[in-house]
Amino acid sequence: MSGTMRRAVRLRSTKIALLALGLVAVFAVAGGALAPHDPLAQDTAHVLAGPSGAHWLGTDYLGRDVLSRLLDATGRSVVGAAEAVAIAFLLGVPAGLGSVFFGRFFDWAVQRVGDAVMTLPYLVFAVSVTGVLGNGLPQAMLAIGVFLAPLFLRVTRAAALSLTRAQYVEVAELLGASRWWIIRNHVWSKVLPTVAVTTAQLASAVLLVASSLTFLGIGVKPPAPTWGGMLSSDLGFLAQQPWAPAIPALAIAVTAGALNAIADAIRDTTGVTATPAGRGLFGRRPPTEAPSTNTGAAATTADVVIPAQEGRLSDA
Amino acid sequence: MALGRRGFLGLGVLAGSSVLLAACGSGSDADSATGREGGTLRWGWSTVTSWDPVTSSAGWDVHALSLAYSALTKLDEKGNPVPALAESWKYNDKGDQITFVLRSGLTFSDGTPVTATAVRKSLERGRDFAGSLVKAQLVSVQTVTANDSARTVTLGLSTVDYQIPSLLAGKTGMIVSPAAFEKDAKGLATKPVGAGPFRLTEYVPNQLAKLVRFPGYWDKANIHLDAFELYPLPEAATAVAALQSGRLDVAQIPGSQVSAARSAGLEVQIIPSLVTTVLDVNVTKAPFDNPKVVEAFKYAIDRKALLDTVSFGIGAVNYQPFPPGYVGHNASLDNAFAFNPEKAKKLLAEAGHATGLEVPLTITGASTALAEQLQAQFAKVGVKLTIDTIPATQATQVMYIQHSKALAVDGFAGRDSAVQAFQVLFGEQGLMNPGRRTPPELNAALQKVRRTPLDDPSYPTVLQAATKIAVEQMPNIFLFTTPRVLARKKSVSPLGSYLAVQRFEGVRVS
Repeated sequence: MSGTMRRAVRLRSTKIALLALGLVAVFAVAGGALAPHDPLAQDTAHVLAGPSGAHWLGTDYLGRDVLSRLLDATGRSVVGAAEAVAIAFLLGVPAGLGSVFFGRFFDWAVQRVGDAVMTLPYLVFAVSVTGVLGNGLPQAMLAIGVFLAPLFLRVTRAAALSLTRAQYVEVAELLGASRWWIIRNHVWSKVLPTVAVTTAQLASAVLLVASSLTFLGIGVKPPAPTWGGMLSSDLGFLAQQPWAPAIPALAIAVTAGALNAIADAIRDTTGVTATPAGRGLFGRRPPTEAPSTNTGAAATTADVVIPAQEGRLSDA
Repeated sequence: MALGRRGFLGLGVLAGSSVLLAACGSGSDADSATGREGGTLRWGWSTVTSWDPVTSSAGWDVHALSLAYSALTKLDEKGNPVPALAESWKYNDKGDQITFVLRSGLTFSDGTPVTATAVRKSLERGRDFAGSLVKAQLVSVQTVTANDSARTVTLGLSTVDYQIPSLLAGKTGMIVSPAAFEKDAKGLATKPVGAGPFRLTEYVPNQLAKLVRFPGYWDKANIHLDAFELYPLPEAATAVAALQSGRLDVAQIPGSQVSAARSAGLEVQIIPSLVTTVLDVNVTKAPFDNPKVVEAFKYAIDRKALLDTVSFGIGAVNYQPFPPGYVGHNASLDNAFAFNPEKAKKLLAEAGHATGLEVPLTITGASTALAEQLQAQFAKVGVKLTIDTIPATQATQVMYIQHSKALAVDGFAGRDSAVQAFQVLFGEQGLMNPGRRTPPELNAALQKVRRTPLDDPSYPTVLQAATKIAVEQMPNIFLFTTPRVLARKKSVSPLGSYLAVQRFEGVRVS
């Protein structure tokens, strides 16, 4: 594994992506401290001002410094996305492995639950979850995480399924190795690249999904800025600042692009194939059939649909 | 009954759907030559929850319904009732019976005549139909008697109430063809049959409504448009473009778009309206169970600053539910709770909150500017407002049915009759009175309003006295009035400045 990762890092696109993510990480941790102004300080005498020496990126509709808000928003946006992906990962990956190794009933049960979740429209689901748990970024991200879990489930299951018939797994079984031992030593390392690609892709998708939710007033806790929240509020003032939405949009795009580049690099260097993220994700979904057990690892993720961001903004 | 909020929130929230509307309009440019009669007006406003005035659930619908229906009366530009389907009306001496005299020879758009019996059946349906949402306004109407030969309809009231002519100017008084609701009551939701200035020909819910001039309208001489098309409110970001591109002829735009519209060569009309931005306060929830806290909140707000950022200065700071120019507006309240942070702090200290206070402020939908600014203003008097956003889809349930929020940003769209407005804002069953409490003085003052004829010289004084009691004793925190900002293409003649319902008599498209 470490070998393939090293190969991936050597790619130029990966280096650039890591640099971008490094910056994002720095801003995420220290964004508030680096901000030149208080991101919440209002100056209603100078609203929607253009870039100036005092405000490099101008001010927003309440006269707050856009640069400071952008920096301050980084941590919140990134942590939100990480929460959603982590929840999806923790729910989906173990269930996916389990569905292969813990018998037919478990397999049937988790797949039906997964199917059920996938049939839900995500906006309605997010509205319901925040209705029950209260409205806030963690709750909205929890909703998205639960919603995305079936994708991890299917990716993991598909990847693991092909390994159950591998000779070395059968040999290990014959030698009396426990399931846990087999999963840890033979399965997990083979499944990991696929899961890593999915994780990177979903992380970028979640950033965009989170911004689309703010158009519905879900997941926002004003006045604390998030990239998605800034994007959504800036759109109301296009007449005054036509360029303003480009700023948070760029932050989202760069982060998402970097994550995708890393996902691509992992895919290229490990031979994992994955459907590119960004197609048909939250909307229509092609019929999902579990791949038959004897297909090769290379084909295993073909039935996985990664949540797409495009087209989602318009139904907010 | 989610009246006022629809339009108020519409700007920010409902707008998304308008994106789906491709360029649907066309045609009016071709026949532009003479400009005297004819033409099509495309209005970007809002489509309706129902074309049946009795089951329509949004107060905002009254504007669109007024295209297809005529009521017994209508409100003039100042909001006073004037004749419509009824050419005159008269109260008995006691004031508990009113007789309307109908115009002669009118028909509904289905060809059936507008008789006294038809009016009776229509009003009785509003009062008795199980699904009626105007029922509450007609409870005092005990009997309706029709005399077809004399063309009179007489309403017997359980109590003296001189507000009936105002009340019947809105959805409550819109007359529906009995032939239509006796045959297919549900069908009315999509196929209105009234005697209004236009007749609906095509309707796609949430997308468009097309109407043509109805030649049987009583005031057809003042309707110069051949056709009318209604589209959902364009999103703030696209409103000006929709007018420039010719997709719309007239559209409501937010204050932020006014300068853009003007520089795009559009005419912008700022029409005073009854729409008021207000904070709903629940006096049964802490800390508002202490009147001193409510009073402190009223003083803690710099309304002018809110107006400047939220609606770009368009509108007027107001401490009462009625805008300047409306008969109920009490000029003595023009500085009722002028921004005074020191006084607010003092009141809070007296209420035992000298060390600070944390209060959740509920907002609906995605627009947070007002709440964020309130938060900053309250921070200066030691109150920490936390903003609690509820998705627009849950707003009606949470705010108007559960009444579970202590403090919420709301919008009041105004009502056809002043007493009706009081009921919505302050009544024990009022949508915007989450505490469900009304002081007896206010009820007495309202009773007096009902008992005073609208044309009585003392009516303004009596109504304004009730306004004063309400503003001083009720917790609702009024912030500012929001005019109707309509941008129109130069080819459209100026629109009437109607306080309540926007009307299109006299409007031409060249």
